[in-house]
Amino acid sequence: MTDSAASVAAVPKSRSAPVPLQGVDARSLLADRVEQLYWQLPLGVVATVVVSFIAAFELRAGRYAEIVAGWGALVLIISAARMGLYLYWVHYAGRGVVAPEQWLRWLGIAALASGATWGIAASVFFPSHADEQQVFLALLLTGAMAGGISMYAASWPMYAVYGAGIALPFTYVLATFGNRLFTEVAVLVPAFYAVCVAIAWRLNEVFDSGYRLRHAYRRLTDANAELNQRLQQQLAELTEARRQVEASGRKLALFVERSPIAVLELDPDGRIREINRAAELIFSYAPDEIVGESARRLVLPEHHAEFDAQWRHLIETREPLARLRLRNVRRDGIPIVCEWTVTPLVNPGGEVVSVIAQGRDITQELEAERVKKEFTSTLSHELRTPLTSIIGSLQLVNSGVMGEPDKEVLELTVVAERNAQRLLDLINDILDIEKIESGKLTLAPEPLALEDVLREALVLNRAFGERFRVRFELRAEPPSVRVHADRKRLLQVLTNLLSNAAKFSPEGGTVEVSLEQRGARVRVGVHDRGPGIPENFRARIFSRFAQAESAATRQKGGTGLGLAICKRLVEMMQGTIGFADREGGGTTFFFELPVLDAPAARAA
Amino acid sequence: MPQRPLNRILYIEDEEDIQRIARLALERIGKFTVEVVGDPLKAMEAIAAFGPDLVLLDWMMPGMDGPTLFRRLREDERTKHLPVVFMTAKASAAELAELQQLGAAGTISKPFAPKELPDQLRAIWNALPD
Repeated sequence: MTDSAASVAAVPKSRSAPVPLQGVDARSLLADRVEQLYWQLPLGVVATVVVSFIAAFELRAGRYAEIVAGWGALVLIISAARMGLYLYWVHYAGRGVVAPEQWLRWLGIAALASGATWGIAASVFFPSHADEQQVFLALLLTGAMAGGISMYAASWPMYAVYGAGIALPFTYVLATFGNRLFTEVAVLVPAFYAVCVAIAWRLNEVFDSGYRLRHAYRRLTDANAELNQRLQQQLAELTEARRQVEASGRKLALFVERSPIAVLELDPDGRIREINRAAELIFSYAPDEIVGESARRLVLPEHHAEFDAQWRHLIETREPLARLRLRNVRRDGIPIVCEWTVTPLVNPGGEVVSVIAQGRDITQELEAERVKKEFTSTLSHELRTPLTSIIGSLQLVNSGVMGEPDKEVLELTVVAERNAQRLLDLINDILDIEKIESGKLTLAPEPLALEDVLREALVLNRAFGERFRVRFELRAEPPSVRVHADRKRLLQVLTNLLSNAAKFSPEGGTVEVSLEQRGARVRVGVHDRGPGIPENFRARIFSRFAQAESAATRQKGGTGLGLAICKRLVEMMQGTIGFADREGGGTTFFFELPVLDAPAARAA
Repeated sequence: MPQRPLNRILYIEDEEDIQRIARLALERIGKFTVEVVGDPLKAMEAIAAFGPDLVLLDWMMPGMDGPTLFRRLREDERTKHLPVVFMTAKASAAELAELQQLGAAGTISKPFAPKELPDQLRAIWNALPD
């Protein structure tokens, strides 16, 4: 058992069962046979009626006229029944109500009845008629037997039944006639019957092979039709796909044409294949003037060498380029600066087949940028110079080196100095934020002991705190933590946070400052006992010119830029900044910076 | 640290108001001997006549800007070793680093606090090598 199971298991599973030959299936052959037989039926009926009529006419003379008439009536009844069967078949065939076997059975009965009418004619008329009529009858009967072959060619058993209906009575009549010649002929009739059946069988074979041929042909035709249909369908799909491609192509062409960006298609040698409308406008060339020309025509001559090198690099690396700035030149010789995105199109073989260049004229932008920079720089100098004089003068007066001023005068000059300082702070903040946002601010980071910077910030801001009668205090002895940061900018952040805390603390209050290491980061916290941050202000507290709407803030001054600058500076030092409500009232502002030395190493 | 204390300062600055304030601060608070030059082109002869311990030099001036004048001073044998401190409102970190490399003794950012200016200059003076 196990052995055989094992051997079975060893046989590859993929071995398939023998495929049945795609030959003629028995049922469809049967159906076809029924069809052939039934189609012959009316012809047989007509032949029977015509021949019977001739026979009745020839045999009517003599004493048996009534019997002939009776026989004729029987033939007509059976013929009518056969015709009825035919009509019934015409009506019901193909509806599947009647099985093909049943049709055959009914037809068999009809064939037997049809044959039997001739048999009856033989047995009744042969003995009773004269010699010449007997010859006619014999001829008629053999004719009926032979004629049936073509009628029942599709089924030899059907023919055998029909023929037997004629041959058996005829043989019997001949054998019992008592005439020696007739007795001998009686032997020939079954022989003739046998030959007819043999012919019918042979015809049946021919019919079957004919059927196979028809069947094969039909299958071929069907397959052909199916193939045709599939081809039609694929053709329709292809047509639709092509329509879609054309439509998206048109859309794309429209995009390119209407785009404000100059789009050029170049061949791998750098010659221009196509340009869009924007490119025509930017470079003031008509397409036929520039298509086919080298793209160098659009580059300032003194930058040709540089352009050639860039082009070679592009073709070699096949890497797309973005934000490539080129010194281009228009048709009228006016130099412009364009920013390009260049994309090589590579075929599956890895060769560059085409290069798409998209560019925009940034000459005006650059000019605007330059003007802005110049303006900022001028503003910086022109605003600070007079402020230097104002603040300097007031400081000298207020410090008393110029002699002790009158008390009331001093009050005013102190106000003047404070407000001049405030104006200077505003200018510095605006210039700072402008520098940060235009990406022009560069930090000078260095390893710093954060606790030292913190102490320095407390000393620097002590005087400011005193103005609001607020003390700055370290919460505990700070740990020694090193960070990689810009010292000046870190002091700026701390000064901002401390001065904010002082401004919003109640008089006589204390602002606590904390420093704690949290794994790889260090957190500096500035904790005040102020009124807290109003709900509607929280979301934009780090935005530019953000100030809570209150009279108190305006009184205390500030530009509304401090926290925005702090946030950006801290982020430039890879840090984060935030705030939280303080338990017992007030706010904690904090920032976190990455610790310079790995905490794991410090722990060890 | 130089042997003697800082005493004679030449200030090259075109803005008269700032000249006045700086001079007051340096003289009244710092007790220095101060000479002010408004035209950078006359700086060389002023240096020769006054003989300063240190030159305080404005960055932005018409006629000749601070860095150019500074380079001239470095090229001249007589003024090559004269300590120069820049006073500036702009100057990127890179520019300042470059000047430091050329031998500027220090920088004071504008606007300056007159009260603190003498101390700032003394600190720079004291940090100088012999």
